[in-house]
Amino acid sequence: MTPSPLSQFLALAAEAFGDAVRRRIAAALAILALLSLAIVDSCTSCAAGTIMVNGVPVDGSRIFGWTGMVLYGLLGLWTIAISGALASDHLQQALDDGTAQLALARPVGRGVFALARLAGALAVSLGTGCILLAGTAFFLRARYDFALAPAGVAALGTALGAVSIGALAMTASLYLPRLATLAGVFVVVASIAGANVAALSGSELPAVWSALDRYAPPLGTGLALAVVEWSGRELSASPVLVAARLALWAAFAPTLLAFCFRRREV
Amino acid sequence: MAALEWIAVSKRFRSRPALTDFSFALPDGASVGLLGPNGAGKTTALRLALGFCRPDAGVVRLRGAPPEEPSARLGVGYLPERLVLPPRARVRGLLRLHARLAGLAEERATSEIDAVLALTGLAEREHDACGGLSKGLAQRVGFAVALLGAPRLLILDEPTSGLDPLGVRDARDWIQAARERGCSVLVSSHVLSEIERTCDHVVILQSGRVAASGRLDAVLGPGESLEDAFVRLVRPGQAA
Repeated sequence: MTPSPLSQFLALAAEAFGDAVRRRIAAALAILALLSLAIVDSCTSCAAGTIMVNGVPVDGSRIFGWTGMVLYGLLGLWTIAISGALASDHLQQALDDGTAQLALARPVGRGVFALARLAGALAVSLGTGCILLAGTAFFLRARYDFALAPAGVAALGTALGAVSIGALAMTASLYLPRLATLAGVFVVVASIAGANVAALSGSELPAVWSALDRYAPPLGTGLALAVVEWSGRELSASPVLVAARLALWAAFAPTLLAFCFRRREV
Repeated sequence: MAALEWIAVSKRFRSRPALTDFSFALPDGASVGLLGPNGAGKTTALRLALGFCRPDAGVVRLRGAPPEEPSARLGVGYLPERLVLPPRARVRGLLRLHARLAGLAEERATSEIDAVLALTGLAEREHDACGGLSKGLAQRVGFAVALLGAPRLLILDEPTSGLDPLGVRDARDWIQAARERGCSVLVSSHVLSEIERTCDHVVILQSGRVAASGRLDAVLGPGESLEDAFVRLVRPGQAA
């Protein structure tokens, strides 16, 4: 019987998920997620009372809205970064220890194998991110009555960004040393987010940063657009275009990974 | 159609040639020993056969198709030289994964897994974590993975590595049983006595080139052991 690629993908993804869960970094991420939730709980606990600025009372919802937007955006970016970090050696590790070759001697396509490793890593990072983002959305809803729909849209944007960055990191790991790939993930995510925020604030950007903002996965823009309504402000970027760019990158990056892994000698 | 065929294959790693103009066809149902000193190109030949790397020149055909195509590897059992099992995977769980990758239907998978566990003497270790197994037991698990699903072609790289004398004898029996049901076998090994017992053809590689190949009785001189023939072919100055 010819094996079904879907059945192979699911079996390998479950195996990759198990591998990712058993790594020490997964335990560290779980602890970090719990700590982050405790910090979010603390940061969002000052709902009552009047806020005075220079002796003048200000509308608390604007401050909380702004804080909620920044907090949620940072947690989304953190989820994307850890997705890249986990993916950055999840395929290479299987190649290094020889377990990949045992599976690839079976009638398993290279693309199926690489995408299953990516799915396993993303299941862990996005699972952690889900707990973080859902917990934060819950606090913001319960304490400041924030709408939940923007949080859901931002979570979707985070997932698309995580797929893009995870797949790009895994592709880079086929050519670069482990530490360089890992460092690259954090530098790239921070740079893209910085360029996006600077562009949204109307700053003039040097060419490189402008290119990052316009052509890289719009990680920061997507998150900011999704939750901007909490702050009562408006942003000039087009949500449809930003969503389309996120989706395109989320389709292109795994395709690139599969293509590059097919050409790689194992 | 040959089970496996290298046609004028050359492969270099950076500036170092690993295989040069290597040609050999593994006849269907035959058992071939791939021999050579360290660095002769044996593992490269096996990696090319499984599509792990591509030749710089020449063609490799696995059951008539390029080995990079997943369908060409249907019915291939492989035991690598450097066997690494996922440490926390259970023996049965690992076999179940490979049964799914090999496309075995659920019902057949269960009976095949039971069969290879019994054959390789692992029935009582099926729930053990692979990481806790001794080298010899891990090698038995490697054999169980390779033999799963009654493969039509077995590719074994140093198959008796880590096995005790009983394990070596068992391995010989497993290879023999596979041959009896028509499976082609390619064994790369330094244990010449085992090759002599299990293979009817040999290929002897020296510095990436074929020093000799053919039926075992044609490669051996009159009254010559495989070890003598090996030394004569790869180190002519020291031949007995």
